[in-house]
Amino acid sequence: MNRVVISRVATVTALGDGLEPLWQGLLAGRSGIAPLTRFGCENYISQQAACIADLQAPAKGSLLDTILERIAVQIGDLPNDCRLLVASTKGEIDRLTTVCRQEAAIPPAVLFEPLLEKIARRFSLPDRGCNINAACASSTIALARAAALIAAGQAEAVLVYAADLVSEFVFSGFSALQALSAEPCRPFDRQRKGLTLGEAGVAVLLMNEERAKLSAESPLAYVAGWGAANDAHHVTAPARDGCGLILACRQALAKAEIAADQVAAINAHGTGTVYNDAMELTAFNAVFGAQLPPLHGVKGSLGHCLGAAGGVEVAIACRALQQQLIPGTVGCPDAEEAGQGRLNTAPQKVSGDYLLCSNSGFGGINAVVILQGVA
Amino acid sequence: MKGWINGIGWVTAAGCGNGRNAEQQPLCPGSLEIPKRKQVFEKPDMRFGRLDEFSRIGLAALAFCLRDAGEESWSEKRPIGIIAASRYGCLQTDLAYLRTMLPEQGKLASPNLFAYTLPNSFLGEAALRFGLAGNTLVFNQEDESGLSPLRFALEELAWSEQQAMLAGICDLAPPQGLSRGGEYPGSLFLLLGKEPSAVFPGYGELELRGNEMVFAGAAVTDLPTLVASCLAAKK
Repeated sequence: MNRVVISRVATVTALGDGLEPLWQGLLAGRSGIAPLTRFGCENYISQQAACIADLQAPAKGSLLDTILERIAVQIGDLPNDCRLLVASTKGEIDRLTTVCRQEAAIPPAVLFEPLLEKIARRFSLPDRGCNINAACASSTIALARAAALIAAGQAEAVLVYAADLVSEFVFSGFSALQALSAEPCRPFDRQRKGLTLGEAGVAVLLMNEERAKLSAESPLAYVAGWGAANDAHHVTAPARDGCGLILACRQALAKAEIAADQVAAINAHGTGTVYNDAMELTAFNAVFGAQLPPLHGVKGSLGHCLGAAGGVEVAIACRALQQQLIPGTVGCPDAEEAGQGRLNTAPQKVSGDYLLCSNSGFGGINAVVILQGVA
Repeated sequence: MKGWINGIGWVTAAGCGNGRNAEQQPLCPGSLEIPKRKQVFEKPDMRFGRLDEFSRIGLAALAFCLRDAGEESWSEKRPIGIIAASRYGCLQTDLAYLRTMLPEQGKLASPNLFAYTLPNSFLGEAALRFGLAGNTLVFNQEDESGLSPLRFALEELAWSEQQAMLAGICDLAPPQGLSRGGEYPGSLFLLLGKEPSAVFPGYGELELRGNEMVFAGAAVTDLPTLVASCLAAKK
């Protein structure tokens, strides 16, 4: 099996363009959640979201176009044989909403195939790739598939590009489901009342280790293990016993060939909804027991970035492993009992080689990626 | 990479069906009849009637496929995943949801419709009904052959602990003006196992040799041809 390295990352989030401002913002405990001005939200149960600053759509275009441009500038030139995996739950949903509001004809561009073509063209990749839709686990599963392709020798380089927007479509839906918190979300806090939406674009370049060396790419981290499993329980609610997440964690540990106590830290999904966060803590306690490592969640700072969430969190995890430090969990001053002593609003020092990232989503899906630091 | 084709099920313009009860491959042009609960499940199923049409055809095809393989009933969750390819995804559901959201500035947005504005929602419906605890995802990719989900599934089988994968396609007829032509509305899934079925005789072994897909010793060029070969093989 080929060793898989992450050699480049690029991020655009509510805490700025690039990993450095994102990392510094997280360490400082900053939050990108702010009053929402993109669309009228007086009829919804929340009026806040974590939007990317200065995001303007081109004429007749989508806000995703601008995110793509800002990511492409950061990521630089890519190997010509690089495969492309995209992860977006709703694509250009802002454009679809606009044409429906105007009662205009639906342009083919709202479909994923033209979007894939646009993304491939912007990155100058011959491979048009595919879009993976597994709800909020989309980019985690895309990263797992990229790693699997490289490990099996089916590809030498894969770009995972993920992006999702704060849109009225999704905002109104989560509001109708009563899943939004009126206040900024509080992942893993006893007083949590729901999620806050966010938006992001992220690109992660994965390479075969040998190819990365030949290309003089400096590895940021290794992708050591991955797993994905369905709860087989409910379409919109997580299984309370965390069965799917437990299974995905165990698959990832087995793939990485490590014991649970070798995991130094966890970047949890931590949406801030009552049931998701309880499920995660149940699952992590089942997998790690008394060795539950320090854990954190970033959605109190970035909001829930849907299909892009996992990609952004993996980018953050690369830096966390490098610095042996995980950011604090903004919004969690009073952690759930099952996470006490492991969650902190301040950054926590960690010690070890492996960091586990997990995401779960509608449809009962759970996905886990384990990163290994570079010695 | 290899997998045994142990079941085939569909909802297409040719109707609802499964491989063991059919002679002709069902992917064809025409209008699609959305199945009613009684056509799919004998027992009452409160959720089925509430599903959007995209989820109904997808779930029904998965049910027919598992039934075809003798794998519908279960007592413990199983390491079976689902890979579904779709060009239009749940676009029709998105449009239906927008019709509830846009009037009255969101006051009437339907939570039930919103829950199905992710194309993978029907995979969750299938997972909970049939105890499928593997990887489940929908993917979009330009692919005229219809074989890309099978390739994806064979790779999953080879690279993971999953014992079987349901792989296929799911699409309603597209909204006016978006059709690219030559499309077969409907949903069709194959159950690919690491091992041949212990319940019913399977259809044969599907192999991925590099970029080429091979069934019964012959290269396969597209999904309708593969299904036709499977149906011929059972004779």
